[in-house]
Parts: sequence; structure tokens; C-alpha cells
Amino acid sequence: MDIATYKDDVWGQEVLRGVSWDLLWLVIVAAFVAIALHAIYEAMQKRGDKPSADGERVSRHGALNRAYHWVMAASIFVLLVTGIFPIVGLEFAWLEIHWIAGIVLTVIVAAHILMSLFSGELGSMSVGPGDVKEALDGNTKPGKYSPAQKSMHAVITVLTFLVIGSGILMFLQIDTPWWDRTNSMAEGMLGLVFFIHGISTLGLVGVICLHVYFALRPEKLFYTRSMIKGWISKDELAANHDPQRWTPDETT
Amino acid sequence: MASFDVMPDVQLYQPVELDDALNLADELGDEGWLLGGGQDTYGWLKDRAKQPRAMIDLNGIEALHGISETNDGIEIGAATTLREIIRDERVNRDYSLLVEAAGRVASPQIRNVGTLGGNLSQDTRCWYYRRGLDCYRAGGNICYANGPESMNREHAVIGASRCVAVSPSDTATALVALEATMVARSVKGERTIAAEDFFVGPDTHITQMTSLKAGEILTAVRIPAKWAGKKFYFEKVADRDVWDFALVSIAVAMSMDGDTIGDSRFVCGGVACTPHRLTNVERAVRGKSLSEESAEAVAPMASEGTKPLNYNHFKLPLMENLVRRAMRG
Repeated sequence: MDIATYKDDVWGQEVLRGVSWDLLWLVIVAAFVAIALHAIYEAMQKRGDKPSADGERVSRHGALNRAYHWVMAASIFVLLVTGIFPIVGLEFAWLEIHWIAGIVLTVIVAAHILMSLFSGELGSMSVGPGDVKEALDGNTKPGKYSPAQKSMHAVITVLTFLVIGSGILMFLQIDTPWWDRTNSMAEGMLGLVFFIHGISTLGLVGVICLHVYFALRPEKLFYTRSMIKGWISKDELAANHDPQRWTPDETT
Repeated sequence: MASFDVMPDVQLYQPVELDDALNLADELGDEGWLLGGGQDTYGWLKDRAKQPRAMIDLNGIEALHGISETNDGIEIGAATTLREIIRDERVNRDYSLLVEAAGRVASPQIRNVGTLGGNLSQDTRCWYYRRGLDCYRAGGNICYANGPESMNREHAVIGASRCVAVSPSDTATALVALEATMVARSVKGERTIAAEDFFVGPDTHITQMTSLKAGEILTAVRIPAKWAGKKFYFEKVADRDVWDFALVSIAVAMSMDGDTIGDSRFVCGGVACTPHRLTNVERAVRGKSLSEESAEAVAPMASEGTKPLNYNHFKLPLMENLVRRAMRG
């Protein structure tokens, strides 16, 4: 199975054309194997009682952060559907929807970065050496985000930056309401841009499969609820987080 | 690119039963090549720009030949030659639009062997693509015909999406105007496709001209009685009078109530990757009569929404003038 595809350019020189989409099936199979292995491992673990969702509540995600998350999720979903479905044979006029969703994602990511910089949230998500130690030590409870959540965020961030950066360069190569394409990029460079866009898309497919799986796991569902409603209970806080490292505001 | 002027080694199947052809098409999938009159095929193969594993010659299948009446119009077998269509009495009487369009295809020699199915399914004439360059239409990531120095005199002025190639079929415009239905068969069964949906643009499928899937064979074209004997107009503008593709063409079907136009279908060829319906013109002509005054009123609408490339601005007044001439009556 190839990673990339090549073509002859207009001068007869072999240049990169883009990613090999055969990898899509490999990524999907690998993601589902990883999910199955994790599910089996978790099923074999003995767990105590699930913390109660009743009682007093604390705030985990503000309304703006939740809105960012879901708009981002919706735009990535649309981008993946419009980008990948035609490749697997479900044909429709996808390009316009794709770049509109791409603009939404770019704007929302830029806004999210700016808000994180000014709200101080960036620190609570950054991955450091302490997170490795924490991940290996089963007794340490995390602050607001676990090492696994931080790692997932970091990987999605890198892949999203790659897909947006390459997407903007590809956007310049098509006609839009604001400009006409120029066909000015060298074919080899264009192939590299397509390759980066494709490989980061494949990465996102795999990571998002895992992200959705973890969001739906029974013991993690309260995090998903908090991304919808904004709160977790004090019981859930005590069972999963170190109150010394994260002291959220109470909420109703 | 070398042109070998001889056929490459390729397996040739010559089934005489449609079921055998369908099984072969199913078995070969993308590696099979359906052969009608061969007028588009042989160039591709001799240039080595397309290299199918096998060809399925459909000409020996009796069921794909001939013109027959149906409960609602006529049915033309996909392997019926253009000459047979041109000479058919019923088609001449009721659907002279198709006769005129078929009569302007290429040359008498080509019309003698060229089939209706082949004319409808033929690939685009964009020379960058036909030269074998790895463009969008060939599965690549660039259009060589739409750049600052590209030669794009014959290319699209509307409906382009990355690829700017145009549909070369003369009969396609007539059949869209006549609201024909394409019949496609595969081992899974039969499906019918409105002519308008049969041709696909690059926004939907950039590597195909039609909605035919691998393993499917276009078996027939059905033309409804709705437009039989109506007022028709066809004109094709090309660099040469024979053996040339349309720069712009127009096929018009109009239902007249006395001097007044009712329903109408105005379809332009050579301007988009699919036959391009002028729906704004169709709306505007309703209730009007065929006259110089009406012609002047609606002609400018023909080029609305167009976006010409470097070398094909001339197609815009051509579109307008063809509508003008159709409306003069």
C-alpha cells in the first residue's frame, strides 16, 4: 500500500500528486482495532460505583467554549463528509460546501485561540513532562484535563493547523466569489500541499473516531454532558479530579 | 506524446446478447471499455492516453439497434447509427430537432458508423486532457486549460468547477431539449435517467461526463410524445461546416399556442461540461410570440451567469445570437 501517489507534470517530470486514499481504509480499520482493544481492556477492569450526577454542581465548560466546540465539530464533520464521501464513490457537488465549512473552521479556530490566550485556558490544556509522569502514575488525579484529554487536544490541534494551512493554499487554487484561480503554484508544490491536506485529513479521521468513542464511553459520558450542559456534579469532580489542582465555580 | 496510429494490444469481446455484454461489463468494471462506433475510442487507444484491459463491442447486439414506438413516444437503441436516425421517417416527422442535431455531427462517414450511445457518452475534447496530461479530469490536481497562458478558446463559459472542459455531443442538447430519458442496464437491473441528469458536471464527478457507473451500459434513449411535432430550432456554430465540434450550439423545443409560446426548452451546447439549459430564457419567452422584438428582449439573457476564460469571450455573443435567431421564427 502506497502512502503517496505520483504523476508526470507537464514537463514529463515525476512529481508528488497527493496522498494515497487507500490509506483511508487502513486508518479506519486501525482506529476500530484500537477501540475494540480498549473496550476489551476496560471491560476487564473492576470499577467502583459510578459517581452520582445528582447534588451540587460545578461549572466545567462556559457557554462560549461549548459553542466553539460544537461549531468546530460540525464544521469538521461537514469537511470530512464533503471531502471523503466523493472519494469513496458517493458523488455530489461538494466543493462549495467544503470550502464554506473550511472558512467556518478557520474562523472558529482563530477565535478559540484568541479567547484561550486572553482567558488563561491555554495553560490548562498544554501538555508537559508532568503529564507523562501523571499518566504513568495511576493514583494521581488530574486537574481540569487529564493527560489523555490534553494529548487528544494537542494531536487534533496539530492536525487541524495542517489541514487549515494546506486548505488555505488549495483554496487559492480554485475560483471563488472573491478571486479567480491563478494556477500559479508549481505542480510539485501543489502535490505537496495536496499530500499534507490528505495525510492530516486521514489523521483527523483516526483521531476523531477515538474522540467520539471516548465521548460515548459510559464512565466518560459526564464529560460529554458537560460539553452540552456545562456542568459536572461535585461527586463526579471528587471521583475524577484533584480539587487542589482544579477548583471550579459552583453552578446551578 | 507519441501517437502510434495503430491499436494497442487489447482484448476484444463481441457479444451478441445483451446479457453477455452486461456480464462482461460487470466483470471488467473500470478496466472495460464499451465500444460503439469507435469514433471517440480509437483516438484514445491509439494515443495510448487510455489503456483499457478489454473492449466490449456492442454493435453485434441486435437489441441495441433500431427505433421503435412506445406508449409515450419512441425508443432508440443506443447502438443505432446516427445515419439511421437521420433517415428514420418517424423521427423526421415528430422529432426533427434530433435529426438536425444528428445531421450536424462530424462528417457523413462518421455518422455512418457513429452511434447515438457513443455520441452521448463520448469524452470531452479538451486537448490538455486528451493529450494524456494528468489533469483534474484524469484524476490529478490541476487544470491546464485554465491558466494565464492556457489555450481555452473551446472551453466552458459556465458551470465549470476546477475542470473547464465542455460536453462535445451535438445530440445531447437535442435530447435534453426533448426531455428524453436514458435507459441504463447492468447485471443488477435497469434504471432510467432523465437526459438532464445523465450528463454530470465536474462539481459532481470531475472524471466522468455521464452518470453511467462502471458495469452499466446505455441501452436506449426514450423520447416522450410530449414534444412530438412541436416547434424546433437547432443551430451549431463551429469553425468548419463538417467534421468539427460545436463552439456553441442551441437546441430549442417550443410548444406553441397559435403564435404564443407556452412551454419551451432552450439548451446550449459547447458552453458547459453538460448541455446547458437557459431556464431564464425559457421563463422569459412564455407568452411571447416569435418575433424580432421578442428576440431582442430575451437574447441578452442567454449569457447571464457566464464566466468566460481568457480566449472564449466570443462564446457569449454567440449564445445570445443563437437565442436571437431561434426567436425570430
